Parts: sequence; C-alpha cells; structure tokens
Amino acid sequence: MKRIVKWVALVVVILAACGFVAFLYFIPPLTSMAPEEFVNGEGAMAPPVDGIADPAVRAIAERGRYVLLTTECTGCHVTPGPQGPIPEMYLAGGRTFVTAAHGTVVTRNLTPDKETGLARRTDEDVKRVLRSGVFPDGRPISHMAMPWAQFSNWSDEDLHAVVVYLRHIKPVRHEIPPPAPGTPDAIVPGAVEVVYGSDAGKK
Amino acid sequence: MASVPTGARWIALAAVCLLLVGTAVGIAQSGAKPEPTDVKHLYDTSCANCHGTDGRGHGPAADPLNPRPRDFTRGWYKFRSTAADSIPTDDDLYRTIEVGLPGTSMLGWKGILSEAQMRALVAYVKQFSPRFASERPAPVAVTRQIATSPESIQKGRAAYESLGCGACHGEGGAGADAGALKDDWGNDVYAPNLTEPWAFRGGRSAADIYLRLKTGITATPMPSFADTAKDEDLWHVANYVVSLARKPVWEMTADEIKAHYASQAQKDAANPVQRGRSLVSTMACGHCHTPIDREGRALPGLTLAGGAKFRMVVWGDIVTPNLTSDNETGLGRYGDDDIKRAFTRGIKHDGSRMLPFPMGWAAYAHLTPQDQDAIVAYLRTVPPVKNQIPPPARLGLPAFLIAKFQMLIGGKDFPIVIFPGNAGSAGNPAASPAAEQR
Repeated sequence: MKRIVKWVALVVVILAACGFVAFLYFIPPLTSMAPEEFVNGEGAMAPPVDGIADPAVRAIAERGRYVLLTTECTGCHVTPGPQGPIPEMYLAGGRTFVTAAHGTVVTRNLTPDKETGLARRTDEDVKRVLRSGVFPDGRPISHMAMPWAQFSNWSDEDLHAVVVYLRHIKPVRHEIPPPAPGTPDAIVPGAVEVVYGSDAGKK
Repeated sequence: MASVPTGARWIALAAVCLLLVGTAVGIAQSGAKPEPTDVKHLYDTSCANCHGTDGRGHGPAADPLNPRPRDFTRGWYKFRSTAADSIPTDDDLYRTIEVGLPGTSMLGWKGILSEAQMRALVAYVKQFSPRFASERPAPVAVTRQIATSPESIQKGRAAYESLGCGACHGEGGAGADAGALKDDWGNDVYAPNLTEPWAFRGGRSAADIYLRLKTGITATPMPSFADTAKDEDLWHVANYVVSLARKPVWEMTADEIKAHYASQAQKDAANPVQRGRSLVSTMACGHCHTPIDREGRALPGLTLAGGAKFRMVVWGDIVTPNLTSDNETGLGRYGDDDIKRAFTRGIKHDGSRMLPFPMGWAAYAHLTPQDQDAIVAYLRTVPPVKNQIPPPARLGLPAFLIAKFQMLIGGKDFPIVIFPGNAGSAGNPAASPAAEQR
C-alpha cells in the first residue's frame, strides 16, 4: 500500500513538472493563436467613429482612423500591461524607450484627457510633433523612438485627419513622466535603443 | 581692514556672495530661454537633428525626410527675394526660420524661440558657407503687383502654358507624372501640386508665388523666369496659380469629403507604385528595416535593406529582413502573396510564424487590398541591395526555460534591445563622399 502511494506521488510530481515546463514553453501563446485573433484584436481597439454627430468631421475621422490603425501607433502608444497591451488604455502611453541620442523617453498619452492627454495641446502642437518632432516648448523628440521623420511624409490632409480622430477617442487619465537622462549602453553594452514592456505612467 | 574683526569680514563676504548668486538666479529666471550667446547650443539642439552639427543637411533624422534638409555649406537657398545665383538676404533666412516651410518638417519657430534667438541662428547658419563672407545678396526688382481679375487669370493661364509650367506641374497645376525629378544633390524632388496651396513652401499669396517665378528655386528643376518672361506675365501666372486652389478637406462638406477620398483612391489605383512609396514611407517600414549607426542615422545605401538586430529575450536575436527587390537576399525571391501574407498575417514564406511584435502585421492587416497591392508594387521597384540576413538566433532550451520562468513567474520585464550597425552580409558601409554631400 505504502509503495503504491509512493509511486502515485512520484507520477504526480513528474506530471506536474512536465506540465510546468510545458507552461513555460508554450505561454504566452503568441505563435499558437490564430493570426486572425491578433488582427481582430487590433481592429477592435480602435474605436469606431459612428458616435461623431457632425457628418463632415465623421468622414475625416474615419480617414484618420484608417491612417492611425494601419500605421500601428498602438505598438508603442497602448499602455503595456503584464499580459501585453491593455485595450482599455488605448493610446494612453507609458512604454519606456532608452535611446542613444535623447535619453529615457516614455510614450505620451494621446487620448483627449484634460490633464494628462492631448486636450492640453492645440492641433498645431500635435501636428508639429508628428511632422517636425518638436514639442510645444521646443524640445526635440527622439526620431529613434518616434518615427516622426517618416510621418512627416503624410499629406497635410492625412495629418489633419489623424489629429481629428485622436480628438474623438476615449479620454484616459494617465500621467506620463517627463524625459530623463539615460543611455542604452549602460543597460546593454553596444545597444542603440532599449524598449521596456512595462507601464511607466501614473493612473 | 585690519581693524575689522574676522567674523564680520566673513559675514560681509557671505552677504556679497549671496547677492551675486541672487542676481544671477534673477537674471536666469527673467529670461526663461537661453541667451543667444549660446547659439551653438541652440543650433545643436534645435536644428542639428536634421541639418547636422556641420550644417551639411545629413543629421541623424534626415534620411526619411522628403524634401531633404538643406545643406548650408553651399550657400544655396530655395526661398529668397534675390536673383537666381545670389545668396539670400538675412530677412529671407529669418522668414524661413520664423514661419517654416509649409508641407515639410521645417517648422515655424515663432512662439518657441525669441526674435533674438532666431536672428542669432541666421548668423550661425550663414557661417557654414564662405559665400556669405565674399558675396552680397542681389535682391530682385519687384514690380507693382497686378491685382487679380478674370482677365489677369486668363492671361496667366496662357503664360502658364507658353512657359511650359505644365511639363512638371501638370495641366491645371494638379501635378504631372513627370518621372523622378532630381535636385543638384541628386535627391528625389517632386513638382508640387499647385491646387494644394497650403503646402506651398514659400507661401501661398500671389506675391509669394511671383517671387518663386522671379527668383527660381535654386538647385532644383524650377528655373527663374526673370529673363525669359515678361514681368507682368509673372504676376498674371501668380494670379492664375492662386485661382487653382481647391478646397482642403477641413473646409469641405461630408459629401465633398467622401467624393474627394473616392477620387483619391482612384488616382492611387492608377498609380500603385507612387501610393506604395507613400505608404512604405509613412508606415515607417524603414524605421526597423534600415540599419542605423550609433546616432540613429540610416547607414548609407542600405535603406530598406534590413540588417538591424533586435534582441528579444526570451525569443532570441532577430535581424530585420531585406525588403529590397534583390533576387537572392531580398523580396525578389518571393511571390506577391507571400509578401502580403507576411506583412498582414505574420506568416513567413516557409510557413513559420512571426511574433505579434515588433512587426505590426496585425495592424497592417487592416490595409485595404488596394493598398496592400500598392505596397508590394512599390517594394518591387526598390533597387536591389545584396544583404543576406542571418536566421534568428534562438536561446538554448535550458536558457529559454529559465528566462521564461523569470518572465512569467518572476515578472521580469525583459526589454527589447536594438543594436546599431548592419548584421547582414553587406557589412557597415562608411558614409561615402557622395552620401556626405547630401
């Protein structure tokens, strides 16, 4: 009887160990989930424009949604969580980049929140960031973290459409810390940029 | 002094020190911005990102920009009030800094920098070229403006045709398929669409347009018509160009906007390579698929040739693929559907899967079929660069499991680490003299 218990216990322990190794191996299921699940998740994050009353604004915002969605602004600007990007924190920022030329920068909150988001900024301020990589106070934005040099090739009308859409997404309160010193070399020797997957913002 | 007790002397000294420090702090606070005496610092932080600390127009952020940032060392400037071969006036340069160049990355610094700072930058920019020490600006004679009228616009249209403006700008100014225009540095430039005046670099008023016609846009295919056209005709052409303006979307009604986007989609369908170029540029494909140096500057000759190394613990070292049309190392090896499946489903040509990051295929899947085709059409035209990309280097199984344990159980945030240089077979080309001149 004792021997059977011992054997059963041994099998259970081995099975548990195998299960744990399998868990480590297969989780997160990034390449076992169907691609369509990621595709649908990406589309579901970007709010539709149906709620916009003015039909002209709605038509422009629809274009802005298309440009913003297909440019994958979400890759850096959706707040990261332990299980990946948090859909409820769509474009609320918080991902940390340590860049060679511009130190430690955190992706901004692009939602129209009054205190921590773009409601504080004029259209011109936002367009200047997207096209010239310059904050309203004149500080330069790292082109290595934020591809503003590429976005500068948007037509004026597409640039406008992106800003209109950003004005109509859900405001999320999420305070982003200002840039700080830092060099990627100090984290990983020889690196030119280091990107973290945790949230540096304050809810 | 000898009779003053030591303690009192120290107190007096301390008082003087405090006064001095206080005054310094007061001065620093009264001018919230740095004084123009530190113009090099101002230039290096505000301008050098694009124009380079040496003024040659190849700063770290310059590569994706179209038009390219100005090379200050030649002393050639596009937007002037002076004759075709002349250096600009100080006021010309000041105007560009103050209001910027619409439609480009060159912003207007008014409201961010003080007038004194902008004036200091004018002087600083001039010292990059010896021309400003030896030459004097030669302003063009601006004749009295001819007010616009149906008659003037009619004359302007006739002059626009006889002067051959349509060869580049198209009939009615809406752009022509003039092929790749080049400036004197060999950079691609395009003739602006004259129906979209909000993007006119030098301003949209008739007086601004008259000046462009009179002075030309130096070092580009846009000539000066000062000697080849009657002066009054230049005013008529300016009035005609002003009359070509269409409504921008932000002034249109909903129906007009929908019609506008539909006609834009039709134009894009007729010219997929141009649409694809625009998408590949603005979707920032080159942000990862072009290797960079330590300052974040694109390595010369390797645009879209892949080779940037990303270290992603736990998934290993992944090098970005070569997107040029090369038949052995680039996309030339793959069919259209392979390419589309890769950037919209994250499935590689051999059927293996990509992670959902950093390559944003889940987002690119939302491109319309027409835009997906346009991207492929453009990538087929990217000149081939031989740059063999090494396969991903995975962690060994024990290291993989240990790192996964740290990540899943320990909650450790392994960052994505990006390395400078090209990990592909083409190596790290040094900036060639030609590339440096840009």
